[in-house]
Amino acid sequence: MMIFGWVMQISWAQSDPSGKRRVTSSFAITNATVIKSPGDPGSKATVLFKDGIITGIGVGLSIPKDAQVISGDSLYVYPAFIDGGSNIGISKPKEAERPKDLVTSNPPDEFAGITPWRLATDFYSNTSTQVDEWRKVGFAMTQIIPDGGMLPGKTALVSLGDPKSIAIIQANVAMAANFRGSRGMYPGTVAGVMAKFRDVYQNSTLALEHEKMFASAAGVKRPQTTPTQLAMGPVVQRQLPILFTANSELEVRRAISLQKELGFKLILTGLENYDSVIDLIKNSGTSVMLKLQVPDDKSIKSQKEEGVTEATKAQYTRVKEAYDNSLKQAANLEKAGVSFGFSTLDTKASDVHKALSTMIANGLSEKAVLAALTTNPASVLGISRIAGTLEKGKLANLILATEPLFKESSQIKHVIVDGYVFDYEVKKKANSAPNSSTKPENTAITVEGTWEYLSETPAGSSGGEITIKKENGVLGGSITYDDPTGSGKASAPIKNVTLTGKNLSFEFDIAAGGMSFTVTVSGEVNGKSMEGNLSVPQMGSFPVKATLSSPSQIN
Amino acid sequence: MKKIFYLFLAFFGLGCNFSQAQVQKGSVLIKNATVLTVTKGNLESADVLVQNGIITQIGKNISAPNGVQSIDATGKYLMPGIIDAHSHVALDVVNEASAPITSEVRMKDVVNPFEIGIYRALAGGVTVSHAMHGSANVVGGQNATLKHRWGAKDPADIIMQDAPRTIKFALGENPTRVHGRGNGIQPRSRMGVEAVIRNGFNEALQYKKAWETFAAAKNTKGNTLTPPVYSERLQTLADILDGKVIVHCHSYRADEIYMLINVAKDFNIKKLVFQHTNEGFKVAPEIAEYTMGASVFADWWAYKMEVYYSTAFNAAILQRNGAITSINSDSAELIRHLYHEAAKTQRYGSLTDEEALAMITINPAKQLGIDDKVGSIEVGKQGDLVIFDSHPLSSYAVPQMTFVDGIKYFDIVADKDDQRQLVIATEMVEPIYLRANEEAHRCMQDVEIYLDAFDVAFLKENH
Repeated sequence: MMIFGWVMQISWAQSDPSGKRRVTSSFAITNATVIKSPGDPGSKATVLFKDGIITGIGVGLSIPKDAQVISGDSLYVYPAFIDGGSNIGISKPKEAERPKDLVTSNPPDEFAGITPWRLATDFYSNTSTQVDEWRKVGFAMTQIIPDGGMLPGKTALVSLGDPKSIAIIQANVAMAANFRGSRGMYPGTVAGVMAKFRDVYQNSTLALEHEKMFASAAGVKRPQTTPTQLAMGPVVQRQLPILFTANSELEVRRAISLQKELGFKLILTGLENYDSVIDLIKNSGTSVMLKLQVPDDKSIKSQKEEGVTEATKAQYTRVKEAYDNSLKQAANLEKAGVSFGFSTLDTKASDVHKALSTMIANGLSEKAVLAALTTNPASVLGISRIAGTLEKGKLANLILATEPLFKESSQIKHVIVDGYVFDYEVKKKANSAPNSSTKPENTAITVEGTWEYLSETPAGSSGGEITIKKENGVLGGSITYDDPTGSGKASAPIKNVTLTGKNLSFEFDIAAGGMSFTVTVSGEVNGKSMEGNLSVPQMGSFPVKATLSSPSQIN
Repeated sequence: MKKIFYLFLAFFGLGCNFSQAQVQKGSVLIKNATVLTVTKGNLESADVLVQNGIITQIGKNISAPNGVQSIDATGKYLMPGIIDAHSHVALDVVNEASAPITSEVRMKDVVNPFEIGIYRALAGGVTVSHAMHGSANVVGGQNATLKHRWGAKDPADIIMQDAPRTIKFALGENPTRVHGRGNGIQPRSRMGVEAVIRNGFNEALQYKKAWETFAAAKNTKGNTLTPPVYSERLQTLADILDGKVIVHCHSYRADEIYMLINVAKDFNIKKLVFQHTNEGFKVAPEIAEYTMGASVFADWWAYKMEVYYSTAFNAAILQRNGAITSINSDSAELIRHLYHEAAKTQRYGSLTDEEALAMITINPAKQLGIDDKVGSIEVGKQGDLVIFDSHPLSSYAVPQMTFVDGIKYFDIVADKDDQRQLVIATEMVEPIYLRANEEAHRCMQDVEIYLDAFDVAFLKENH
């Protein structure tokens, strides 16, 4: 039903001046090793699919005349991945201009990060470069989460398929929620967010009660249900689950305690540290999506061998221990019998392979990994009937890899989404061990263009744009930031911009109330993203992340 | 057969797999100590037996029941666990500073059992702390009373579940600075603070009335009355009016202390404790007559204009006027030597040993509404105890062991260099602050954003 969009487009398009129309929508992958579902050891078979639907898997199938044949002799076929929660292709909603008389102690919902009426699909673009980045590593579907504050809006399930097709598989999958306060207004902290969450929830319940009375009896005053309460209706009626982003153990506990108190359906996503709450997750029966990432090992690598005291060495040991334990968490979750999915929110597509192989090296079974990427999220998202495994009648979402998927040297050659075949370049196997570490990096780092950044401070998150350009060989530009006097954005020139290797740093001045501060930003650039710190004198240093949203054209 | 089954469960650690983890309780016999009961005098070389978290016997020649560990405290002093009536230790958030009244905010939501400050407090003999919301708002959030069960991973396990509800109020410069000067809303002055409180309570009365009216009409035939708007903010204020919540009010000046007493009288609020109360000595009889007393610093003032008129005799004057008086820390550093702070009342005010010790034990227990459970060494009370090497009011006193519910959570002999419970995998070493100022006073934490640049730069003291 949901795939009609593109099926019609292909079947009935009469002419194709662009010359890009497909010759056929019927395909056959012949004689490949097919792994139909997690735990399947795989066997040689032919896979047929047409119009985006798998029409047959087996040995000795006759290949339809109109089918394009993909020779699968050396290839391994897997069900494509399903992402439990992401911001793939999602743009930030435009910030509404603050009214001059905005009361920060009781702001309108929109300014307080409470926008449950928003739909992720309104902010999604399937032509975003992220779509291809994630498809390339094997993802065919994702639950997109709208960007915003404590209740940013409703998630949707989309297909990472042909850019010309309609991407939405299902709108209104879950209501997203965060423990993120809004900057400089109520609710500003986790404590405020939890209190406000209860308030929104209870009043949405009462609004329903009021509407019911109004519908059934005369003389009842007219209900004045707010857009927030209207959108929260399905949540308080337990029809729509809440997808709570909870990174840490304490956040997991907070979300589950709210759930116990109020009774909504809960899915947790973005889990990073959860070792001590595995029992709680299990006993509460909450569905979880782990952040598809392993912690960086900078602190391990920076440990010095010599010239350190015994006390420092003891601390090193504890950090190492903590690091090792964090890698084992997913395996522990599997051991406890909890099934889980993955969320790619705030992770990089290029790190996926490493994250998965690290988890496997630390005890997670390959079966559990594949389940976490296919059948588990399919079950949580309610799409097991159409996706998650390779079966006749299910969507033709497949991965074709050169070797068993989780092998270090395995490469993805094709990803098929909705029956569309996407080809990816496969590098020739190196004969000897890669010696890339000795090779100088010859890719120039580009920082010029417009960056979008977000910084997390104890008072909430704040962000803006950084514009970097080179003039007369010197880097410079400007930055926008939330005006500390409380309304809208302010802008300042950036100075002392330096780019050494991958490290970008610059400074800017904030003037407020006759005072001026110099803020220092420094971070490491990786492709189009930067991660680092933003430090403010007397207030401390806060993590900052930026992405190069529109790079300058290099002449 | 049953027994074997339970043993089996316990052996495999399955016994505590229930969603509501059971708080651990222990048994211990402490022998031959000088027991400072605080409420029932001192006992020379006496024994105290704790069984399953409760003090069951105090006396001489008590023999340890089967399986109960016996600790020889000959030549040492045993006192009740120290109670800090004003702390921000183990809180992830201190201020929801965005509105003048935030009574719906619960500090219990943001308790962080991993914070090393809990262990450091235990090393100073503190077993119970009052984890308060900050002083940015006229009516702040609801506080959490914590039991320092170090090692617990579930915040619920360090919250003293049988303690009554308390809430933070704040008068004077902090709320007027954040809301009036910083944000251009009421209150801008001390008069505004009073107005905010009175308006809040009046609204709460209307709120309560609205719900009562609705509840009465709801099930009558042909009812057309719809449910009122839900507000935990007003509900909490109504609960204060109904005597269900103890108010702990940040205050300095005598005039505003007296103001709040009058407001409390007008609204028939009986459960009121003043915090800081530097000018309490000027209104000590009034505090004694109408309130649950004052929780003060021993000798700390002049960090902002309203705190200049102060004296180290404050605690003694309040005490001798009959006010319940406690000495608090409001600081992750001071919390480690509250016994020393209490001793200052002997230098300034010549209080007796018992009076001075009461200031950090039974008196704060009374102010938190938990004096029937902790705060002294009595049969039937919870086994929160500290062993000192010398008299705790001596300048040379060092805590040796600290027990909560009969379980030892601190032992100076077993004190490791690195006692962290939670180590971050991606951080080399967490920052350690040697100077108190850098991490201590958190009454105004999380509020920078609401202040103007001048305040952030120059007014660094934040109580």
